[in-house]
Amino acid sequence: MAAQSLREKFIQDFLTDRRWHFITDGLKTTLIVTVLALLIGIMIGIVVGIIRCAHDQQKGDLRGAGGIILRVLNLVCRAYVTVIRGTPALVQLLIMYFVILVSSRSKVFVAVLTFGINSGAYVAEVFRGGIMSIDKGQMEAGRSVGLTYVQTMTNIILPQAFKACLPALVNEFIALLKETSICGYIGLNELTRGGDIIRGTTFDAMLPLFAVALIYLAMVMIITYFMGILERRLRRSDIR
Amino acid sequence: MISVKGLRKDFGDVSVLRGIDYEISKGEKIVIIGPSGSGKSTFLRCLNLLERPTAGQIFLDGEEITNPKTDINKVRQKMGMVFQHFNLFSNLSILDNITLAPVKLKLMTKDEAQQRAFELLDRVGLRDKAGAYPAQLSGGQKQRIAIVRSLAMNPEVMLFDEPTSALDPEMVGEVLSVMKELAEDGMTMAVVTHEMAFAREVGTRVLFIDEGVIKEENEPGEFFGNPKSERLKDFLSKVL
Repeated sequence: MAAQSLREKFIQDFLTDRRWHFITDGLKTTLIVTVLALLIGIMIGIVVGIIRCAHDQQKGDLRGAGGIILRVLNLVCRAYVTVIRGTPALVQLLIMYFVILVSSRSKVFVAVLTFGINSGAYVAEVFRGGIMSIDKGQMEAGRSVGLTYVQTMTNIILPQAFKACLPALVNEFIALLKETSICGYIGLNELTRGGDIIRGTTFDAMLPLFAVALIYLAMVMIITYFMGILERRLRRSDIR
Repeated sequence: MISVKGLRKDFGDVSVLRGIDYEISKGEKIVIIGPSGSGKSTFLRCLNLLERPTAGQIFLDGEEITNPKTDINKVRQKMGMVFQHFNLFSNLSILDNITLAPVKLKLMTKDEAQQRAFELLDRVGLRDKAGAYPAQLSGGQKQRIAIVRSLAMNPEVMLFDEPTSALDPEMVGEVLSVMKELAEDGMTMAVVTHEMAFAREVGTRVLFIDEGVIKEENEPGEFFGNPKSERLKDFLSKVL
């Protein structure tokens, strides 16, 4: 084959047969999986993080049925975090696809669930760190005016903890976005695989892969930008 | 009003309180002094169960608050507490710091709580700080707000845990004068402090706690003028 010009390659890679659809459809899938997985991850993370903190903070007075339930929940949560963080996301994805949800017809569903559960473990630790970083005087002050543990948590501790762990949370969001690229292993046509399909069709590696890389980069920069705005707004109470 | 019987508190192997019996009547101003590590703060923190006693009983208006069946949140609504490090809710404005508990606990409507907050802010001369955040205030201002936050719950008793120990010397006076006013209004108070002049002037009884027991207890004149135990004489010779 004669050497092609960059322009010809571009036309062949993206325009012929509307191949750019592989990229845009892939991007759509990547975003759907990332956002839904993040939502699931945050929900799991908040619950697991709070259970772990509640257990650690109330160690002194864990009595009665409530105490036993909290102990059991704490053990379950610890086991969950250990297993999820201790195994590769790709292995989890393959197990989910080929073993647990073998009858599921939706690859997106498998991916969302896998990454949601995976992300939850990391988010839980992020939240736990955020909650633990808040001075214990804040909890004591809340309790001393008669607020319950839950009321103090939701009105005082969690808003501060959320602000404290926002950078780490965004980190997790970015990692998640990029990690969904392994979904190609179960044949889900997300962004990376979209680029790879073009490479397989046109035998040009550079442009499709660069395009994919550029899109990931752009998305991460957009996320970072919005995170900056959010942080500045949350910093209002720190003005001296 | 408050009755303490055989109060003991252990932290692991360390016995901090080794049996305290005491009665506080309505309107009394109890000042608790003693060397650091003597258990005086722990004693105060046991009174509203921020520390769970290892043994013994505490009664408030005849109700045993150490009974696990007692709703401790209800009890704490009647006992204000002021901390050494203020512990203002750093994510909330001053006004919200004051109104949070009365509103969340449905004791007042938002309007009533705000009206009460402004009355109290006027009393301590900080009305103009209502919209500020805790980080914008000086130590003395923070502590006056902390007192106001407790008063907003209309407590029957106020507990002060070294309220001036973290303040710059020039700010001690403004906090003590608020406390004096409160005492003149007839509030029942228990104050852990190193301010001997305050103890002498405002206290109705002074307690000397050392090694986890009340070593000596008297009205201020006798207490400072004619100490009985060698340990107290020694202590007073160092602090006066």
